[in-house]
Amino acid sequence: MTNSAHPDLDQLLVAWAHTQRLPDADAQRIRQAIIPPVPALEGSWWSEFNHKLSTAITRATTTPVPAFAALH
Amino acid sequence: MPPSRDDAAVFTQIFDQHRHTVHAYLLGRVTDPELARDLLQETFLRAWRRLSELAPLPADKQRAWIFTVARNLTIDSYRADATRQAAEATLHQQAATQPTTVAGPHLHAEFGERLAQLDAAIRRLPEQQRVILSMATAGGLTSRQIGEALGEPAGTIRYQLSQARTQLAAALDLEDDP
Repeated sequence: MTNSAHPDLDQLLVAWAHTQRLPDADAQRIRQAIIPPVPALEGSWWSEFNHKLSTAITRATTTPVPAFAALH
Repeated sequence: MPPSRDDAAVFTQIFDQHRHTVHAYLLGRVTDPELARDLLQETFLRAWRRLSELAPLPADKQRAWIFTVARNLTIDSYRADATRQAAEATLHQQAATQPTTVAGPHLHAEFGERLAQLDAAIRRLPEQQRVILSMATAGGLTSRQIGEALGEPAGTIRYQLSQARTQLAAALDLEDDP
């Protein structure tokens, strides 16, 4: 007998196993409780990076080509 | 020292690979879902602290390492009388109330009733059989993998599973067809 009203043992065990599984949301809460937050890059790193990038862009787009070539 | 992004990624991979089976094992041992979650967290906290030792191991050795920790934590929790008594109280309380909590509203009423009977019967199984059944069904492990995790021959695991199924079929008045 394997219909839903008269399930066999395998059907019942599959359904039972489903009720036992740890929900993903709970698992994520546990994982986050274990791993301390990974520190982000410091603000000064981004500031310096942006400064270098904007300087390079400005130089490449505003300096005449011969003068730019002479710089390198 | 704060963790690196690589450490976090390696740990997450190990956590995701083993969390279902370890949880199934712990639930089989203690039967109390809240205690099982606490022990799961403690197990993986220790894995995190020993990540440099654990990460290089192959998956089967990682599983054995993690299950050793989980088993020891379960034994420790048994030693704490208050914890054990709370778990037993929860066990009895859940056995009494499970028919309304196991059956989801989407399930046919009769199916839900049979599911509740199964849950109660599983809780009455000897602990080792309950653990193995939980690892096989909820954890999705093969007999060989369960054997490796528990330090038992696969044949012993298959025998215990068969015994558990026979008892469950008898308790539910079902024909077992393994």
